[in-house]
Amino acid sequence: MFVPNYEVKKQIIDLHMGEKVHYCYQCGRCTDICPVSELEPERYDPRTLVMQGLLGLSHMILQPDKQFNLWGCQTCDLCDEICPNDIVLTDIFTILKNQSMRMGLAPEAYISQAKMVMETGQAIPLQDAIARRRDKMGLPLIPKPNVKEIQKILKATGFDKKIGYEEPKEEKK
Amino acid sequence: MTDAEEFLLYEGCMIGQRLPYLEKSARLVFEKLELKPKDAAFGCCPDPIGIQCSDYTSWLSLGARNLTLAEAEGKDIVSLCNGCTQTLTVVNHELKHSESKRNKINRILKEVGREFKGSINVSHFLTYLLEEVGVEAIKAKITKPLTGLKVACHTGCHYMRPVEIMQSEEDHENPQNLRKVVAATGATIIDYEEEHLCCGYAIMNAEEDVSLRRLQKKLDSAINAGAEIFCVICPSCFSQMDFNQRSLKKKFEKDYDIPIFYLTELLALAMGYTYDEIELKMHSQKPKLIKERFEGGAA
Repeated sequence: MFVPNYEVKKQIIDLHMGEKVHYCYQCGRCTDICPVSELEPERYDPRTLVMQGLLGLSHMILQPDKQFNLWGCQTCDLCDEICPNDIVLTDIFTILKNQSMRMGLAPEAYISQAKMVMETGQAIPLQDAIARRRDKMGLPLIPKPNVKEIQKILKATGFDKKIGYEEPKEEKK
Repeated sequence: MTDAEEFLLYEGCMIGQRLPYLEKSARLVFEKLELKPKDAAFGCCPDPIGIQCSDYTSWLSLGARNLTLAEAEGKDIVSLCNGCTQTLTVVNHELKHSESKRNKINRILKEVGREFKGSINVSHFLTYLLEEVGVEAIKAKITKPLTGLKVACHTGCHYMRPVEIMQSEEDHENPQNLRKVVAATGATIIDYEEEHLCCGYAIMNAEEDVSLRRLQKKLDSAINAGAEIFCVICPSCFSQMDFNQRSLKKKFEKDYDIPIFYLTELLALAMGYTYDEIELKMHSQKPKLIKERFEGGAA
């Protein structure tokens, strides 16, 4: 016995606010064109994912031992372009992935990248060795981003809590 | 050309902080073309896959913050990275076209004293080259044409899609922009079946095995069609295609040694710079054929 996740369903329907809602008629062109489904047809299938998403059956998607059924999507956007019914599949998958992240079900590499951005304001912070190499190559210094400001924004959006980020304990001054 | 700084350069963290030799070639090309980019203290774009998939609202907010930095200077952004270009273009588009999203994000930005206005544009350097510089102006600077070099072009997913937002002029099923600029270097562009195919970089974070099989199909297709090198316009594609040939070798016990070039590296060579000057030795797959064929010596 299960009930649909109405919150997820609402978020997906809200994507089409102001436009007519496009229902998927399961033609399968998304799966046909997907470069990941081609390699892993049993494990990643956008057609099934879009049906389950539109019906709010998120419990079928968000399963700890089956992350690849959702995160197999690499957001290449091919399915969005081919859908004859103008469904933006990757927008639906983004909502589902956001939900998956909040439940702590995202692949580890995604979680660590998110934490890096929270901590340094960048996905790839500047290492000393690269700074020296840049200097040797005659490249200019990279202006430093305002990390405090970025963190303030990310706290306002609740990013830290959503990704399960714990602030490093600082010594009291 | 004026002396004023024409655009803000968004090289992105991958190029600036992991692959600086790509930036070196880009800056040499800017000089040759008399372009004057300015640097700015941008933060993470942020990653259109990783951060958008982590939290959409945070992705919009940080993207919008970067856009406000450029708005404050009244300059457009030109990026060297497909991912940064896609994030900043899509965020710009979404906030310009949706009042509810713009209001929501501006409430967040207000906490740091910023406001998204929607007053600047974002483009990839490839688009800038075609639209603002022009193929003829590029050709005028070519002093060492790469005649006979067989190039497979790989444009990459996030330059072209979503089509409606990214590239009204580019055909994502048959991309031409990169071909036009590579052709200006005098190189020969080869056709290969998997030209539109993703490099597989973006699936690496979910599963390496699938990513490598994706890459293998791409490389095999171009090599079988006679390609000697690849030309890419995205540091993520570059990284996947250059560094992971070693992983392919381990996994499939098959040798891969096809050099990968970032577009401005090819342009810099054709504009007269040498293998050593643009530090091609930094590549994982050393493009020795450049020395042998165009610089009259062994690498």
